[in-house]
Amino acid sequence: MSDPASADGSAAIDAVADRIRAAIGDRRPRVGVVLGSGLGGLADRLENVVALPYADLPGFPRSTAAGHAGRFVVGALPGVDHPIIAMQGRFHLYEGWNARQAALPVWVMRRLGVECVVVSNAAGGLNPQYRVGDVVAIDDHINFMFRNPLVGPNDESLGPRFPDMSSPYDPRLIAVAHEAARSHGFPLHTGVYVAMLGPTYETRAEYRMTRTLGGDVVGMSTVPEVVAAVHAGMRVFGVSTVTNADPPDALGETTHDEVVEAAASAGEKLRHLVEALVRHVSGAEAP
Amino acid sequence: MLHLYDQIQEAVAKIRSVWDKAPHAGIILGTGLGNFAEKIEVEATLDYGDIPHFPVSTATSHRGRLVFGMLRGVPVMVMEGRFHAYEGYPMSQITLPVRVMKAVGAEVMVVSQAVGGMNPQYQPGDVMLIDDHINLLGDNPLVGVNDDRLGPRFPDMSRPYDFDLIDEGQRIARAGDFVVHRGVSVAVLGPCLETRAEYRFLRGIGADVVGMSTVPETIVAVHAGLRVFGMAVVTDMCLPDALEPADVNEIIAVANSAEPKLRALVEGILDHEASKIAVVAPR
Repeated sequence: MSDPASADGSAAIDAVADRIRAAIGDRRPRVGVVLGSGLGGLADRLENVVALPYADLPGFPRSTAAGHAGRFVVGALPGVDHPIIAMQGRFHLYEGWNARQAALPVWVMRRLGVECVVVSNAAGGLNPQYRVGDVVAIDDHINFMFRNPLVGPNDESLGPRFPDMSSPYDPRLIAVAHEAARSHGFPLHTGVYVAMLGPTYETRAEYRMTRTLGGDVVGMSTVPEVVAAVHAGMRVFGVSTVTNADPPDALGETTHDEVVEAAASAGEKLRHLVEALVRHVSGAEAP
Repeated sequence: MLHLYDQIQEAVAKIRSVWDKAPHAGIILGTGLGNFAEKIEVEATLDYGDIPHFPVSTATSHRGRLVFGMLRGVPVMVMEGRFHAYEGYPMSQITLPVRVMKAVGAEVMVVSQAVGGMNPQYQPGDVMLIDDHINLLGDNPLVGVNDDRLGPRFPDMSRPYDFDLIDEGQRIARAGDFVVHRGVSVAVLGPCLETRAEYRFLRGIGADVVGMSTVPETIVAVHAGLRVFGMAVVTDMCLPDALEPADVNEIIAVANSAEPKLRALVEGILDHEASKIAVVAPR
């Protein structure tokens, strides 16, 4: 394993934020989007973009996952005035990054003035009512990664020592997403996301366990970023795309290719949700 | 994980200096199978301390050497003594012997472990064939940059333990007139045994037995494309509402008493494998 560079501390966050600010000038994104497996296409639709490859950012980790491009993109969705900052490619703990490194981009967004983070992921469906290609508004999560980005000395400039987690996902944003889903005519579930370390897909027994514990979807990301965002006082909207939905007692094989394919097919739905959320947060909702 | 490839090659080179066969099966002996290697027609041995990058086993009742030879006419590589996460070894080191097994030609991994029984229908001394596992170790040997030469980034885990071998194990037990169960093993870090509340929790999430090993080795074996046959020896019953203090000496004694059953299973599985090799061998 390559030894990921340490990314702890305010100085590292400031260094990356300064570099981005210098590149984007007076644009002030208020919404940040973390794009998960196969959902990177949303960033390709942005207009007037400034792209910042992670490789150009001081001390920043580099994405190693298939289907992840590895850059920040600042730009505006078509028909929406306000710029957003999108992460094309994120950092997973199974790649060997520590939880603070996985959370670093969120802290950088906060330094840039982002108020709301939209975090997306590809997930396995546990709830038997979900279908492949469905999208799920994350209402809550269970951290089963055995890692937390806030372990270590607390940086009071980022957030409190003991952040409240009674409502990590903003209920108002979930309501906005449901309105958007209804108006565009696709189903949106609301459910609980279970985060596992990975990189192995779940065994049948692990699927049963995560369902028994109250999970609706299971994946290998999102929770480190969300914990960091809540700690930093940001509003969070989380969305999962159901990329496989095998009941544990008839579990088929899971391949990464089918996960990426299913995630791509849900890209349009995600775009509608993000547009509605950007309009809402920017105070410029469409009539 | 990228440093592993060279480590594997160096360990293989050491093995090749004392033994030149391809083992069909790699066998990992857990608690209670410590004397198993006496049945092997031994052709070579290597102490772990003499193999590059191998850790040295610190666990009670575990030796620390590789034994190479023939068992039931099948070439085997046997680990006498294994490594546990609670001993402080990183996952990549615990599972290095499995990588080495694969690299010298093994197709099957046979692994045994001592476990606490949580399914109330089990008895101390019973053997459970592992059908599936839950990884609660809080770690995974595949974390890190994936080396595609060793296996895929996201290995499927829908069937980590080979169903054909489990079926064969059940046939062997019926023929030998002893009980085997088929169930779910959960792996926890240890080294403390579980509290009553933890046993309730582990039973509640669907596990039949609980242990502190085997899951890392199995994950790496699946990643490497080995078929896995796992056996769990129930050394004590862990019924949370009638829990008695654990006695490590008694646990080891019960594990030893189950050795004839494990021996019958391992030899039967090797016979089964040998019959398949015979079928596919060129005439």
